[in-house]
Amino acid sequence: MDLLIASLPLLGGGVWITLQLAVLAAMVATVLGLAIAFAQLFGGLVLRIVAEAYLYIARGVPLLVLLFAMYYALPYAGIMVEPMSGGVLVIGLYFAAFMADVFRGAMLAVAQGQWEAGRAIGLRTPTILVDIVLPQALRVAGPPYVNTLIMLVKGTSLVSVIGLSDVTFVGRQIIERTLAPFEIFGAVAAVYFVICFALSRCGAYLERRASFVH
Amino acid sequence: MSSEITLIGRIAPVLAEGLYMTLELSVLAIVLSALWAIPVVLTLISPRRPLALVARAYIEVVRNTPVLVQMYFIFFGSSILGYRLTGFVAGLIALTLQNGAYIAEIYRAGIQSVSQRQTESGLAIGLTPREAFWVIVFPQALRKVVPSLANQGVVIIKDTSLVATLSVAELTFEARLLVDRTAAVYEIFLTLALLYMVITGVFSGLMRLVERRLRIVQ
Amino acid sequence: MQPPAASAEIEIRNLSKWYGTHQVLKSLSTDVRRSEAVVLIGPSGSGKTTFLRCINLLEQFQEGEIRIGGESMGYQTDATGRRRRRSERDIARLRAKVGMVFQSFNLFPHMTALKNVALGPVRVNGMARREAEELAASLLARVGLADKLDVVPGRLSGGQQQRVAIARALAMSPKAMLFDEVTSALDPELVAEVLDVMGQLREDGMTMVIVTHEMAFARAFANRILFMADGKILEQGPPAELFGDPKTARLQAFLKRFREGHQL
Repeated sequence: MDLLIASLPLLGGGVWITLQLAVLAAMVATVLGLAIAFAQLFGGLVLRIVAEAYLYIARGVPLLVLLFAMYYALPYAGIMVEPMSGGVLVIGLYFAAFMADVFRGAMLAVAQGQWEAGRAIGLRTPTILVDIVLPQALRVAGPPYVNTLIMLVKGTSLVSVIGLSDVTFVGRQIIERTLAPFEIFGAVAAVYFVICFALSRCGAYLERRASFVH
Repeated sequence: MSSEITLIGRIAPVLAEGLYMTLELSVLAIVLSALWAIPVVLTLISPRRPLALVARAYIEVVRNTPVLVQMYFIFFGSSILGYRLTGFVAGLIALTLQNGAYIAEIYRAGIQSVSQRQTESGLAIGLTPREAFWVIVFPQALRKVVPSLANQGVVIIKDTSLVATLSVAELTFEARLLVDRTAAVYEIFLTLALLYMVITGVFSGLMRLVERRLRIVQ
Repeated sequence: MQPPAASAEIEIRNLSKWYGTHQVLKSLSTDVRRSEAVVLIGPSGSGKTTFLRCINLLEQFQEGEIRIGGESMGYQTDATGRRRRRSERDIARLRAKVGMVFQSFNLFPHMTALKNVALGPVRVNGMARREAEELAASLLARVGLADKLDVVPGRLSGGQQQRVAIARALAMSPKAMLFDEVTSALDPELVAEVLDVMGQLREDGMTMVIVTHEMAFARAFANRILFMADGKILEQGPPAELFGDPKTARLQAFLKRFREGHQL
C-alpha cells in the first residue's frame, strides 16, 4: 500500500501521457475516419479502392506490428519521429479504419426514403446531407463511436512496448524494481477502467437517445 | 540476388517457427474463449440476480481494461504467488478471459434475438425450460452469431501479437529479433504484415464458409 | 389515346425503361391536363409505381421524354440528336415543381411538422425563415393539423404524418402532385382523413397523378383511369367506362379479382 502511494507521482505522469495520447489519437482517428467514410460513400472508383485497401490493412494487421514498424522502420529511412507523435499517428491511423466503419454504417442506416423525400422537394445533395441525413446519422453513430473510443484508449497501452512512458509503461517499470504486481497493475487497470467505464456510460446514454430517431 | 536468397534463407525458418507459435496460440485462444464464454453467458442470463451481477462485473472489468495490462497482471502476479507461469500460458489465460467476456456478450445478443415465441412453442409441446433452451434456442442463436464470432476471432489472432512482450517466440517477437540481427527492416515488417493479413484473411474466409453452410442447413 | 392538349401540365412521350435486359416500361405516352386527376391501377409488377417515379426522376428512364409545364425533365436532345442528362440544378428545379407524397411518408424525424414543411421554401426558394414558417403554418392548418405544428413525426399517427407530407409537398407550390400508394401503409381508420385532404386538393384545382389499389377511391375520385399491366397502358378512360365496361380480358380479370375481395 505504501508502495502504491509512493508510486503515485510516477503513475500520475504516466496517466497524463496516456490521456494526451488518447485525446490526440482520437482526434486524428475521427477526422480521418470521416474522410475515409465519405470517400467510400461518395468518392469515385479510385478513392473507393484506396479506402478499401486501407481498411483491409488496418483490419488484418495488429496494432503492435504497426507500432513496431513505425518505431524501427522510420529511423531506418532517416525519419526521426518522436515516440509521442509517432504513437499518436499510428494509433490514429489504425483506429481511423474502425471509425470509418462506424460513420459509413451510420450514413447507410439513414433510410433511403429520406434522400428521396429531399430530392422530391427539389433539394440538392449538399443540402440533403447537412439538413436531413447527417443529423440522423450522427445520432445513430453515437454508441458505436464511443465503443471505438474505448478500444482506442485501451490500444494506447501498446505504446508501452516501444518505450513511451504511458501509465502501462510506468507500471511495468515500477514492477521490475519492486515486485508488487497486484497493487501496481491493479492501479494501472483501475485508471483505464475509470476512463473506459465513464465512456461506456456515455455510450449507454447515447444509445437511449438514438432510439428516438426511429 | 544471392544475398537476397541468403536473407530469405535466414529469415524464413525463424518466421516459420514464429508463425507456428502464433497459429497454435490463436487456435487455443479462440477455442478456449468460445468455450469459457458458455458458462459465463449462462451465469449472465441466470435469473438469480447475484450470479448475474458477478458475471456482469467480470465482463465490465475485463472489457474496460487493456488486454496487455491483464497479461502483465497475470504474468507478474503469478510469479509472486509462487506458481510462475510461462509467458505463453499467462498470455493464453489473459486472452481467454478478455475474449471470453466479449464472446459471452455475443452469445447473449444471439440468444436474446431468438424470439420468445420459440421458447413458448417448445414449452407448449412439453419440453422443460432447459431442454427448450438447448434444443431450440441455442442452435438458432449460434447461427445468428457466426459473423460476430468471426470478427472476434480476428481480434484474437491480432492480439496474440501482444504475448511478444512476454518473450513468447511468436511471429511478432521473432520478427523483431530478426530486425535486430539482419537490419532488413522493410522486408521483415512487410512480410510480417502480409503474414498477419493472410492468417486473418484465411480465417475470415473459413468463417464465411461456415456461415454459408449453416444457412443451407437451416 | 388522347390528342395532346395545349395546356397539358405533364406530357409523356414514348417512355421506356429497362432494368438490365428486362423492360419494365414499354413506350408509354399520355398527357395529364391541368386540374385533371389521373389514377393508375394495375396488378403488382405492372410498372405503375415506376412510371410515377419517372415523372420526378426518382427513377431514371432510358428512352422517351417527360415534359413538365413544357420543360423537359431529366434529359435533353442536343443539336446533334444525342440524349444528354440535364444539370443537377435544372433537375432539382423541375422536381420542385412536382410534389410527391410517399407510401412510407418519409418525414424528417428530427424536425417538427412545421420545420418539415418549411424546409423546402427556405432552402430551395430562398424564402425568409419567418415567412416560410407562416406559410407552413397555414398549410398545416389547411390539412387540419393547426395544433400539431411543433410536434415531431414520431408522435403523430400515420394519417397525421401523411397529411404533414402533403403539406410539405404543397409548400413548394407545385404545378402537379404525385401520390404513390399513400394510404397503403395506414391503418384503415386513418385512411379517410388523408383521402379527404386529397379531395380538397382536387376541388382547389390541383393536377394529380395517383397510384393506388383502393379501387373504390379510384372509381370515385378519378377523372381518368389508366390500367397498366406488364409495363403498358392497356386501357384508359373515365371510371364509369373502365369499371362498367372493361374491354380487355386482362382488365376484366383484374376487376373480377377485386370484386371477389382479393387484396391487390
